[in-house]
Amino acid sequence: MARDYDHLFKLLIIGDSGVGKSSLLLRFSDNTFTGSYITTIGVDFKIKTVNIDGQKVKLQIWDTAGQERFRTITSTYYRGTHGVVIVYDVTNGETFANVKRWLHEIDQNCDVVNRVLVGNKNDTPDRKVVLTEDAQRFADTMNIRLFETSAKDNINVEEMFMAITKLVLKSKLEMKELHNAQNDVVNLREKKKSGKKSKCC
Amino acid sequence: MSSRIRENVKHFFECFCEVVPPSENKEAWIIQQYPDKYKDQDSLKSVPQFAYPYKFENTVIQHYSFVLTDLEGKWTFGFCRHDPKSETAIVILSYLPWHQAFYKFLDTTAVLMHSSRTEDLSEFLSTVYNTKIVEPGKEFAISFNRGQSTFIVDVPRPFQLPSIPENRNLTEYYNAVDINNMMLIFASMLYERRIIFTSKQLKRLSACVQSANDIIYPMIWQHIFIPVLPQSLVECLLAPMPFLIGVPEDVFKKVIRSEIGDVVVLDADSNTVDTPFDDLNNLPQDVITSLRKQLRNKSAVLGDGVSRAFLRALVQLIGGYRDALKFQAGQKVTFDEERFIETRPVSLQPFLRKMLQLQIFQQFIEERLMMLNTGRGFSDEFEFELENYSAKSGSKLKQQYKEWTSTMKKEGSAFFKSVKEKANPAMKSAVKTVKDSGKGMKSAYKGFRSKLKDGSSGLGSHPLENGDNKPRSAPNSPTGKRRTLGGLTAPVATYRKEASLALKNANLQRSYSPLSSGSQPQTPDVLDTPRSGSPIEIPRIDLMNEMQDLFPFNLDTPPVDRSLKPVRSLENFKNSSSPLGSPERWPQPPPRPSLPPMSSLTSCQSRFYPTSTHRDTQNLLQSPLEGPVLSPPYVPPRKPPQEDFFATAKPVVVGGGHSENGDPVFYVTNKNVVDVVKLIPPVQCSPSRRKQTDDTEDLIRLDSASDLDDFDPLKTPSSASSYSTPTHSQAPPLSVSNPLYNSSYENHALKANGGLTPSTFNRQDQDLLQEYGLDFNFSAMQSGQPSQSEFDTFSPPSNVVKSQGQWTKFE
Repeated sequence: MARDYDHLFKLLIIGDSGVGKSSLLLRFSDNTFTGSYITTIGVDFKIKTVNIDGQKVKLQIWDTAGQERFRTITSTYYRGTHGVVIVYDVTNGETFANVKRWLHEIDQNCDVVNRVLVGNKNDTPDRKVVLTEDAQRFADTMNIRLFETSAKDNINVEEMFMAITKLVLKSKLEMKELHNAQNDVVNLREKKKSGKKSKCC
Repeated sequence: MSSRIRENVKHFFECFCEVVPPSENKEAWIIQQYPDKYKDQDSLKSVPQFAYPYKFENTVIQHYSFVLTDLEGKWTFGFCRHDPKSETAIVILSYLPWHQAFYKFLDTTAVLMHSSRTEDLSEFLSTVYNTKIVEPGKEFAISFNRGQSTFIVDVPRPFQLPSIPENRNLTEYYNAVDINNMMLIFASMLYERRIIFTSKQLKRLSACVQSANDIIYPMIWQHIFIPVLPQSLVECLLAPMPFLIGVPEDVFKKVIRSEIGDVVVLDADSNTVDTPFDDLNNLPQDVITSLRKQLRNKSAVLGDGVSRAFLRALVQLIGGYRDALKFQAGQKVTFDEERFIETRPVSLQPFLRKMLQLQIFQQFIEERLMMLNTGRGFSDEFEFELENYSAKSGSKLKQQYKEWTSTMKKEGSAFFKSVKEKANPAMKSAVKTVKDSGKGMKSAYKGFRSKLKDGSSGLGSHPLENGDNKPRSAPNSPTGKRRTLGGLTAPVATYRKEASLALKNANLQRSYSPLSSGSQPQTPDVLDTPRSGSPIEIPRIDLMNEMQDLFPFNLDTPPVDRSLKPVRSLENFKNSSSPLGSPERWPQPPPRPSLPPMSSLTSCQSRFYPTSTHRDTQNLLQSPLEGPVLSPPYVPPRKPPQEDFFATAKPVVVGGGHSENGDPVFYVTNKNVVDVVKLIPPVQCSPSRRKQTDDTEDLIRLDSASDLDDFDPLKTPSSASSYSTPTHSQAPPLSVSNPLYNSSYENHALKANGGLTPSTFNRQDQDLLQEYGLDFNFSAMQSGQPSQSEFDTFSPPSNVVKSQGQWTKFE
């Protein structure tokens, strides 16, 4: 089958409505002019093909409506995705609180999902309420990267998406290696199996 | 919040559109709409797409529904009507999921579109649009055609389970898909899979998808939900998240399956499920076994038997959430996930751990906590069914809850006061009241807010968090007013507390159990038209279509054609499980010998229920000594019930004795039937009890022995299923479709309903009942009922039944 890409990754973008998920997607995607369906069927996605180390990676980034109604977003939601972009609005503390809870949930239940934390709307300093230090501290404890972006001014958007793509690609290649290595190991020492297990994803 | 249906809906519909089909060089478009002020461009843009989701030939009048999801995840329902004789399609957008009502509305509209007087349509639309929606259970009636016609739909009640055949979606689903495949889909929904339904017929497609969601009640599908997917949006099938999407077959044909990944596919036309998963076998097997048994019990298919079977499976799976509730004085009720697992049987635990990872379950818990924390208590169909399942823990929990609410009341009385005052306490205002109320409450709320803020709210604490939370309703229930229930008051003595709570629940049950021609609006054209008395002859255009769908169902159902016989076979006795449940559950002081005066008969009737359980009855019947009981009674054509009640139907006690466990048993006969009646004193005056225990018993029975042999199309369904059969024109909850004593029974029920409280209960009434065999009436009437409603499918609800005409059809 003729494919125009080497890898296809499906990413999720999560965060309260109003944090600028759609704008981020729009800013990033190839097909800027396709309409958005999120207001009619509650789901939307954008596509972009990027080049990483000579490999063509096709990204589908998916968004669903009304996530803020979930106290937790459970692992079934992330099942089948390669990476998650978690977005809050730096001018709205509540969106950050939601994101923290969701990240804890991902951390507890889906240990293989790649993720980045994104503070969007980082373009009006006097309205900023989620301080970079706080967000960074939290990102460190969760062991993920933080990006402060502005979809409006096109700041850090590309970098952020590239970072998550690289993460996903890296873990895919690692898994492959691990898999190959495992096969070898199994041949030599049958008992020793990989202790790494994914709970859900 | 878990509900995806909007609350406090102001208009019956939001927008009416007439849509022109796509042509070679033009997409489908809206040629006219009402009201003009409806400006939701996103919805308007998508209406043509959903009205013509792909190129299709239309040879019959077709109704189907689609769903739009807004940014908050809330649903807007689109109801669509295609008529081969019309060049255009008509679409209604509404926030209300009242499928039957809107199909009828579409039909009426379609007629008016061809009216010679052009104002008719707009007048009708504007009247409907501007008329306030009435309360659940009442009739929403609009007069049109210059007052000569009336459009009537019944506003569905909350907590009502979908019934066959009243609920067209479920009927369609049940007809198209066998029970095993229904269970496969049910299981896959409990695993939150990516699920595709496909069919050639849009009607079937949307009905099946809607019903699949109805069936997981009390949970609600929280993910992508698109009952009809237009060709233009086909890429949505690539979504990695869970979804439930109906894809027209023509659209699905063009999809490359390998690109979609792991999906469960139900082909509703060929009744096949294609799944890479083993979800059904991964559910706890005892739950599946009993679910299967209940679904195979075809006599219980009519009514809400199918819905209830699935509901019971869910009760078994997640009902234990109650044990994990934490009541702490002055604090919100919380949910302890670890306790939820630990308190359950070991066999269930692995699955329950997975359950915690389900969005639908998490949202369910959120909703329950919200109900509790707003003082609404345990108050829906799920909780009633749960109580049957574990009556003991129920009362204990209620006690706990009562104590908790009374503390809350002391500390923040305004909180409960406000809830009480509002028939429909919106969560928003409730939370607001919490904020504004006593200091204790305020600080508790604050504390929990801050807990959330620091992101440390662990699994143990699960406080309500979103101020916008509102309860969700049972499937197809309206979003309108709700009763304020359970635990709002803190009566003085413990015993009385219990009683009052139970009474409230009883009331609720009454409100939910519809006897009327349907709290679900009836099949549009057919059932309702006669009532309107309209000079405009609204053609029964959809009748053939409907019949085609329903008839196979009727004919397929019984392998043996016993349903056509007027005679109640022994199986009836065997299975005519009385509405009261297992005797162990009910304290049974011996009946008193003294007889009360005649006058008390009516008032006390609702209090007494026969309790001959399945097993007891069966044992008795198997005894060779019970000769008279064994002879199949003759059922003659009947007179109108009013005359019947005290005359021909007066039962006679022909014998007595004791059942195995020593309970008094009477053989009661009249000219029609003989039955075994066991009497116990009622615990409370509550039809809900009656129904509940019936269900309980059903559960036990189905679990304990194979029911396959017991199959009998005439067999008593659970009385609950009887509730929804279209046999009555009013809705007194007690008159469980008694073909014998239809109206009079209703009257009694109404009187009892109105006047009595448990404190006025008089033991003597019991004896009188016994004397007059009213208990017998109750059990007897159930037997005839299901088959009756099979024949009643297309009949106007009230008249036919009262004439008893359908009995002749049995011959």
